[in-house]
Amino acid sequence: MTGQTYETALARIEEIIRRLDSGEAGLRETLDLVKEGRDLVDYCARELEAVDKGLEELRLEELVARLETGARDEAG
Amino acid sequence: MDDVVPTSAEGIEGSSYPGPYPVGAYAAQLKRRLQEFARVQLVGEVWGFRPSRVRVYFELRDARGAIPCSMWRNEFEALGTPLTDGMRVVVGGGCDYYPGSAASSPSFSFGVTELRAAGEGDLLVQLERLRRRLHAEGVFEPQKRLARPPLPRTIGVVTGERGKARDDVRAGLHRRGWGGRLVWAFAPVQDRHAAPRISAALRELAAIQEVEVVIVARGGGSLADLFAFCDESLCRTVALLRVPVVSSVGHHTDRTLIDDVAAVSCSTPTHAAEAAVPVDCRRARAELTARAKRLHDHGRRAVLSRARTLAQLSRAPAEHVARHRRRLHQLLRELRASARRDTEKGRSLASVHLLVLGRKASVARIERDRGALLVPAVGTSLARSASGATGRRSRDLERLRLALAAHDPARTLERGYALVEGRDSEPLGSAGAARAAGRVSIRFHDGRVPAKVADEPS
Repeated sequence: MTGQTYETALARIEEIIRRLDSGEAGLRETLDLVKEGRDLVDYCARELEAVDKGLEELRLEELVARLETGARDEAG
Repeated sequence: MDDVVPTSAEGIEGSSYPGPYPVGAYAAQLKRRLQEFARVQLVGEVWGFRPSRVRVYFELRDARGAIPCSMWRNEFEALGTPLTDGMRVVVGGGCDYYPGSAASSPSFSFGVTELRAAGEGDLLVQLERLRRRLHAEGVFEPQKRLARPPLPRTIGVVTGERGKARDDVRAGLHRRGWGGRLVWAFAPVQDRHAAPRISAALRELAAIQEVEVVIVARGGGSLADLFAFCDESLCRTVALLRVPVVSSVGHHTDRTLIDDVAAVSCSTPTHAAEAAVPVDCRRARAELTARAKRLHDHGRRAVLSRARTLAQLSRAPAEHVARHRRRLHQLLRELRASARRDTEKGRSLASVHLLVLGRKASVARIERDRGALLVPAVGTSLARSASGATGRRSRDLERLRLALAAHDPARTLERGYALVEGRDSEPLGSAGAARAAGRVSIRFHDGRVPAKVADEPS
């Protein structure tokens, strides 16, 4: 999934659904497309979940301090 | 206030001023007095140009002061000189005063009757010169080439700590249904220290790996107020950032240089927030659920419909066999029924035959019995008939024998006749035949005598 973004994943899902809607896909292709589509939906859902945790507001200096603490903890 | 008559209202006790006069009368006299001011030409920069239905309004400013101006809209449009903030103009006209009324506010303005452009305003000239230079250098390009994440998890915002822009950014993100991490980098947004601080804030935000996009937001103001966002150094900083910048500085009529450099420029901070999160998260969640359902349905249908077809196909032979079995059963039933019918019929026919046979048997028995009685009688009669017939036939035969004997040559020979025969015992019935034969045999009743035909002289 290198270089994949929410938008490219969504575009591929649309493409898959169009292909499935056309009714031209055979059984094997249908099952493969459905699996690919499900994986992409999972990916998109994860992306959406990541920005669904409630707005967290930080000042730049707070974030910097937090990152520095984290870096120290890791180092220590 | 020579010609204005005071009202009957009681004045302020102890005041040395005349009156009280009706305010409308005073306003009208003020208007007349102001109009008596000498009509002159003024030079300055246009700010806050604002057209209304019948008039256009703007301020004429320079470093020492300003004066509100107005002009009939039709006269202004006839000039064909569009005005922009900061533009340097010369106006001709004089003081005017709109006295207002019970329902409208009064206003003072310099009534412009003549106007000409006097070259671009200093600020605008500087700005345009810088814009052209930066554009020529390609400073506006790098940000446009940066990929903007559709769903950034961390967004940096550079804005004034107490400005309304801060709330507008929040509102925009809320409208998108976005609930990620927002990092505020507050900076002054309008004095001469603003540009370096804004640049520093941008660099710091971009240095944090998690920050995927930065919003620079500031509310409306005059071009002078917004001039910090036209700083060359700030513009170059933005152009070099690794993260895309979404800008919203001033109102939609303003265009600062950071708007040109940024990846995206928006008319309001709310729009900037929305542009920073291209995906409407709330709608995307609903749409994703719908798409997931469609995929699921397709997968299920694909298998189910084929399974149904397979089931039908697999049932077909069984049904075929069952159909034939039913048909066979039916035929068997029909055969049995038919056989039963035939048996019944046969049975009844047989009984008829049996009856007939019985009858015939009994008749035969009777006939036999009667025959037994008849046979001796018949035998006798037959014997009798037979002996009669035999006697008759014997007599006939005797008669025939006698008749034949009468014609037998032997009998003739016995009577003394002889028979001449040839070599092959064939009777020779003429002298010629005997001569021809030469040697003959004369047959008597008691035997043959060979003889030779003597040649007779002729």
